Amino acid sequence: MYDMDLFEHTDTVNELLARYGVKFGIYKNNEFKEQLFPFDAIPRIIEKDEFSKLEKGLKQRVMALNLFLKDIYGEKKIIRDKVVPEEFIYASSGYLTQCEGVMPVKGIYSHISGIDLVQGKNKEWYILEDNLRVPSGASYPMIARELCRRSSPRTFQDYKLEDNRNYAELLRRTLDHVNVEGHTVILTPGRYNAAYFEHSYLAERTGAHLANGHELIVEDDKLYFIGVEGKKERVGAVYRRISDEYLDPMTFCEESVIGIPHIFDVYRKGNVALLNAVGNGIADDKGIYYFVPKMIKYYLGEDPILQNAPTYLPFYKEDMDYVLEHFDDLVLKDVAEAGGYGVVFGSSMTAAQKEDFIALLKKEPRRFIAQEVIDFMDLDIMEKGEIVPRKADLRAFVLMADEPLVWKSGLTRFSRNPDSFIVNSSQGGGFKDTWVLSQ
Amino acid sequence: MGIISIEQADRLYWLGRYTERVYTTIRLYATSYDIMIDINKGSYDEFCRNLDIPNIYQSPEDFKATYAFSQDDPNSIYSNLMRAYDNAIELRDMIGSECLSYIQLALYDMNKAKVSEAPLVELQRVMDNILAFWGLTDDIIESESCRNTIKVGKRIERIDLYGRLHLSKEMLVREVHRLAGRIDRCALHYRKAVMDDLGELIKEEQLDYYRIVQEIEQILE
Repeated sequence: MYDMDLFEHTDTVNELLARYGVKFGIYKNNEFKEQLFPFDAIPRIIEKDEFSKLEKGLKQRVMALNLFLKDIYGEKKIIRDKVVPEEFIYASSGYLTQCEGVMPVKGIYSHISGIDLVQGKNKEWYILEDNLRVPSGASYPMIARELCRRSSPRTFQDYKLEDNRNYAELLRRTLDHVNVEGHTVILTPGRYNAAYFEHSYLAERTGAHLANGHELIVEDDKLYFIGVEGKKERVGAVYRRISDEYLDPMTFCEESVIGIPHIFDVYRKGNVALLNAVGNGIADDKGIYYFVPKMIKYYLGEDPILQNAPTYLPFYKEDMDYVLEHFDDLVLKDVAEAGGYGVVFGSSMTAAQKEDFIALLKKEPRRFIAQEVIDFMDLDIMEKGEIVPRKADLRAFVLMADEPLVWKSGLTRFSRNPDSFIVNSSQGGGFKDTWVLSQ
Repeated sequence: MGIISIEQADRLYWLGRYTERVYTTIRLYATSYDIMIDINKGSYDEFCRNLDIPNIYQSPEDFKATYAFSQDDPNSIYSNLMRAYDNAIELRDMIGSECLSYIQLALYDMNKAKVSEAPLVELQRVMDNILAFWGLTDDIIESESCRNTIKVGKRIERIDLYGRLHLSKEMLVREVHRLAGRIDRCALHYRKAVMDDLGELIKEEQLDYYRIVQEIEQILE
């Protein structure tokens, strides 16, 4: 069933990943630690036709989400037409009033979208969440594939796969498409950020310049990189790996020391492209997720190709009644949390915890969504020389350049705990390569 | 991009200095360690004097473990390697993953040496990795300014160490000449008068090591 040659080289691949510093950062007890991201050599394999459907669905979803963002910070037709209740917009921490009326370069909001999916045992794919702010993870399968080829060349001669070498090229095309005039920069908060490896690796691979906030300056409504001689060079596109709130202390969190004062003014005037746009948090809010299929219908006049996981909004009375009645069968998510945090399973709570949680749910219904626990397909992983099943998801990457582009690969994350559905690296998960068959 | 920020120039320079410091101090440590095995167990005192670091070590065994591997001793080889790593990791986009990987490998080998009963074997690998790193910087870093800034850091550190250790005139002359041929082509501002003074100092029959160290420490603006 499996090509054992590659799997026998799992340790070799992991050693090479360690050699190249393929790590992620994590804070434990207020201390920063760099950890290796455990790689499992058994790939997730997606057949050509199956991926073709995914590709169409992903493009459709991201196009609708972009139109939603344009609408929300512009005309707000979707609110007026009562497709999305305004409470879900204005009460969301992702909605930024500062972005009202601001049009990003070429009207693109989500240039790099990370869409998380799971595959049910019925083989159906379900969207778990949309990540439209600073989704990370593409660098891991990018480098892992290269190191797998190095470790087991025969495997890649035998299988006919879509080449995933092109992520850097797709990203560069996306960056260049909106670059107004000048250099392209990847803005990082620094090496103590969880995804710092990715920031530096993507800078290397795209030829963009990795910079922190201190190396960039705003003058005359333009953004410049400052060289050692004091020479300033214009920056035309910033792939910022920094959250909205820390981006500009003059507009957002004034305590931010990692941002660039006045960059938001430059952006507002169209003198620099920010990827992704500021204010995207409203579209990947877990509460808004519920409405994405409706958005697709509303903006594109199409039926959604990919389905959401069945989701309930306790904000609506009938949904609240359902949630209370089926509490033990549901997973509840705090819309303000990310990274696998704020996720609780009804079935795993004690009676006292349940009572407390329900009280909170009734008090703050807008804060939570509830989802059916999808019986999603396990993927095999190698553990101590044995093949065992584990829960896994897929983060697919959609880039918006002159046209939407879906990277024919993706980050498959898995839980190393046999009893857990949580796959996040920050919670001990590992990753796999995602193979898309080309024939 | 062809432009280097002040912070990046500083990191490139210190990457050069710390890799050199690790390389040269491992060589010295290996020599002292070898003598301490069977000839003079207390010879670390002289080692500390030469390098102008405080002798905080309680015994030869303490010296062998702490000077090489302590994470808390700022003068340890380990601490200097960590500083090299801290700079290198922030320069991946400039030096490339291949170059960076040799600093990472040096760190792994250092950790292996720490728990080894024969640490000189693993420390040799640390040196091998640093040599590979330097070789690759020449081979694959396109930006001349970037390459030269690392090398200038390396040369300045070497002159500093050789001066403190009172190494031979020939060795210092060679290093000063190497620095002179490169310092104009790096991303850093330097004091030309100091470079000229160094050129004169190495012409003297009896080297004034103290002044050489003083001068080299103030060569950059």
